[in-house]
Amino acid sequence: MKVNINGTIHNVTSSEDTPLLWVIRDELNLTGTKFGCGQAQCGACTVHMDGNPVRSCALPLKLVGEKEIVTIEGMKDKISQAVQKAWVENHVPQCGYCQIGNVMTASALLAETKKPTDTDIDNAMGGHICRCGTYQRIKAAIHQAARELA
Amino acid sequence: MTEEKMIVNRRDFLTSSAAALGGLIVAFNIPGNNRLLAAEVSKAAAVYAPNAFVHIAPDNTITMIINKLEMGQGVNTSMAQLIAEELECDWKLIKSVSAPVNPVYNHTMFGPLQMTGGSSALASSWDQHRKIGAGMREMLELAAAKRWGIPVAEVKAQNGFIVSARGKLSYGELAEDANKLPLPQNPKLKNSKDFKVIGHSMKRVDALGKANGTAIFGMDVRIPGMLYAVVARSHIDGGEIASYDEKAARAVSGVVDVVRFGNKVAVLAKNTYAAKTGRDALKIQFKSNKNDTFSTDEWMKHFKSLADEKGIVAENIGAVEEAMKSSKTQFTADYEFPYLAHSAMEPLNCTVNYDGKKAEIWSGHQMPTSDRDVAAKIFGLKPENVDVHTTYAGGSFGRRASKNSDYVVQACELAKIVKKPLKMVMTREDDTHAGYYRPITFHRAKVGLDEKNKLVSWDHFIVGQTVMGNSFFGDMMIKNGLESAVTEGITESHYKFKNFRVQQTIPKNDVTTLWYRSVGHTHTAYVMETMIDELAHKEKSDPLKYRQSMLSESKKHMAVLEQLKKMTGWGTKKAPKGRAWGLAVHESFGTVVGQVAEVSIVDGLPRVHQVWCSAHCGQVVNPEVAKTQLEGGIVFGITSVMHHEITFKDGLVQQGNFSEMPVVRMFDAPVVHVDFIKTTDAPTGLGEPGVPPIAPAIANAVFQLTNKRVRVLPFAKGMKV
Repeated sequence: MKVNINGTIHNVTSSEDTPLLWVIRDELNLTGTKFGCGQAQCGACTVHMDGNPVRSCALPLKLVGEKEIVTIEGMKDKISQAVQKAWVENHVPQCGYCQIGNVMTASALLAETKKPTDTDIDNAMGGHICRCGTYQRIKAAIHQAARELA
Repeated sequence: MTEEKMIVNRRDFLTSSAAALGGLIVAFNIPGNNRLLAAEVSKAAAVYAPNAFVHIAPDNTITMIINKLEMGQGVNTSMAQLIAEELECDWKLIKSVSAPVNPVYNHTMFGPLQMTGGSSALASSWDQHRKIGAGMREMLELAAAKRWGIPVAEVKAQNGFIVSARGKLSYGELAEDANKLPLPQNPKLKNSKDFKVIGHSMKRVDALGKANGTAIFGMDVRIPGMLYAVVARSHIDGGEIASYDEKAARAVSGVVDVVRFGNKVAVLAKNTYAAKTGRDALKIQFKSNKNDTFSTDEWMKHFKSLADEKGIVAENIGAVEEAMKSSKTQFTADYEFPYLAHSAMEPLNCTVNYDGKKAEIWSGHQMPTSDRDVAAKIFGLKPENVDVHTTYAGGSFGRRASKNSDYVVQACELAKIVKKPLKMVMTREDDTHAGYYRPITFHRAKVGLDEKNKLVSWDHFIVGQTVMGNSFFGDMMIKNGLESAVTEGITESHYKFKNFRVQQTIPKNDVTTLWYRSVGHTHTAYVMETMIDELAHKEKSDPLKYRQSMLSESKKHMAVLEQLKKMTGWGTKKAPKGRAWGLAVHESFGTVVGQVAEVSIVDGLPRVHQVWCSAHCGQVVNPEVAKTQLEGGIVFGITSVMHHEITFKDGLVQQGNFSEMPVVRMFDAPVVHVDFIKTTDAPTGLGEPGVPPIAPAIANAVFQLTNKRVRVLPFAKGMKV
């Protein structure tokens, strides 16, 4: 099967029911995208599909088709750079394992909503679990990135 | 291991690691007192060997070799700060790497073992790491003075250079000369007022990699030709296999092999998903055994009955029984605490490359020495032929300090048979089912009050499973059947009790238990701080003033209570309508933390809106990182009591994924305000002490809102009792 990841078309051999996460991680060795729960509950595996954040652990390869997938390795745009910078400056990551998913969703939020409110952020980020408890810093970092992008 | 052998190993290491880093190391040194390395737990002491901890490259890059696991608590930054402060190097040129296994990296307090835990990283490295930095700086100064032919008093270290009237020389230029000089045995340490790095919020060295996906966790390690393995096993170990469908597993696309080992069956595949699908297709069945009927409900009933019998006395102040008889009224409070799973975001995994002669293992190793030694035993290799690579850990909360190295064992036993590189991966459900839980525990507090409802006597009983049993620390921490990890926080309390007795019983079963972020304090602080609150209310005292009256001799507690009062306006201000403030203060790992939680009730459960937190933890090394530990500890503590529990029915764990054990998410996380007591005392713990006070603080607020004392946890259960 063919899959478009970070602007490159890859021929992959994983079976068509394989969730996209494992194609990305185990076949293409792009390890930035994380496995946390396998049931779209924690958000660690979030990638962009045609610009929207999706849970790659619950998305079978056959449903991806020709849609454009972007993983953290492909996030080079102004918004994601501002988000990553804000993550560093606000001391957001602790263990960091969930943060890639958070960065992916936060970047998508800021592409849609230039100046998100606390409620916008709560709604957008509610699908992510962080066991280190970095939530209030994620929120502060999103606000900061929004200010810098304004 | 003999002393001599350890030294040889260290020499080998120092030489080879220098070669591996491709630059110069400063000051090859064997500590003068070799006895420091003797295998005597009680005499564990810091090794002073700068070259094992710092590497200066010709381009001035400073590599800090961190002998603690970076699992989120910030050691790759804060430990480096201790050295950088004294070394006077350029912080911008620092990078941190995880140490290999070597006795030189052993814990300075906990015996001949390299490990991370007990909230001890900074406390145990405070003297050692600063001395290392200072010793290296003095050698660089001397090397520069010699090169210039001037007295050492005329040179000065400054931001990665030695400067004098003659100009400046970089550390990179001087490293080779410095390497030949003797190591100063008593380098001069800075006065805390001169700190430029310690006490400052240096940006975390791992933050960018963790925001852009380049940070490598155990799960991310890739070896050419590696297979992915997912294992079928019984929830409580000991069940013999009755049957499994190997053919069905092999029929799954991508599956390469099915391997039975002991009471487990592994499916190996080209990717994790195929391995998991193949494992599920095994439909493994186990023969009936004594654990088939195990149920936590029954077990808790058993615990209650044990509290009616005699226990071992852990603490006895005054004359409890006589005082109880003299009291006017008595009441008994029974508390139930469930098993808890650590549920770190990165499910447990271990990568192994074993070719029959030597082995390499990769994981977020919290106790790399034990993990290595266990692996060596499995492979029949000498420990030095097992290379241990410590990656970042996607959280741990104690779980990666597995006392039996359980998941490393699982991966190595498999690799021994397969003899191919493999990565053993647990799914989220496997991780939840794998045991090593915070022990199930029962507390009974019986108190007697006088005619003014003041406390006269407190007779306490704890029935709890062991934490330290069957571990490296078991012999140290369990004395005459008494285990402090079960009673800590109830025993040795700073509250002044006149008549106070604590008894303990430790029943055994086959469910494995482990330390969980803040260990015994996860339940003892809850009991102590809700009981204290209850006693204050009984005699109609303000809960903060009541604590002050009982804690007047503990300066740390008093300072924290005073700071909390200022932060919240306690006594003058009040919680908004429909909300209440609950207070708790608790010491753990040498640190006193006080918290006030602002709580309302939403859909029958407490909702925590904001938390004020004051901590006395000695010198704060990195204020922002320190704050994150308390913020995170609070969120972790809320999850631990809101819904989380591991229950067994018919020998099976009833929870698997996050849907069955909901965790705090952003929309139900409180805003946390943190402040520290300013002090230049040596640092004490910080990774764990933020956890214990939050649950009782919430419970004390719940009482004000509902007039109900929640004694059965989690709240989701206890609010309905």
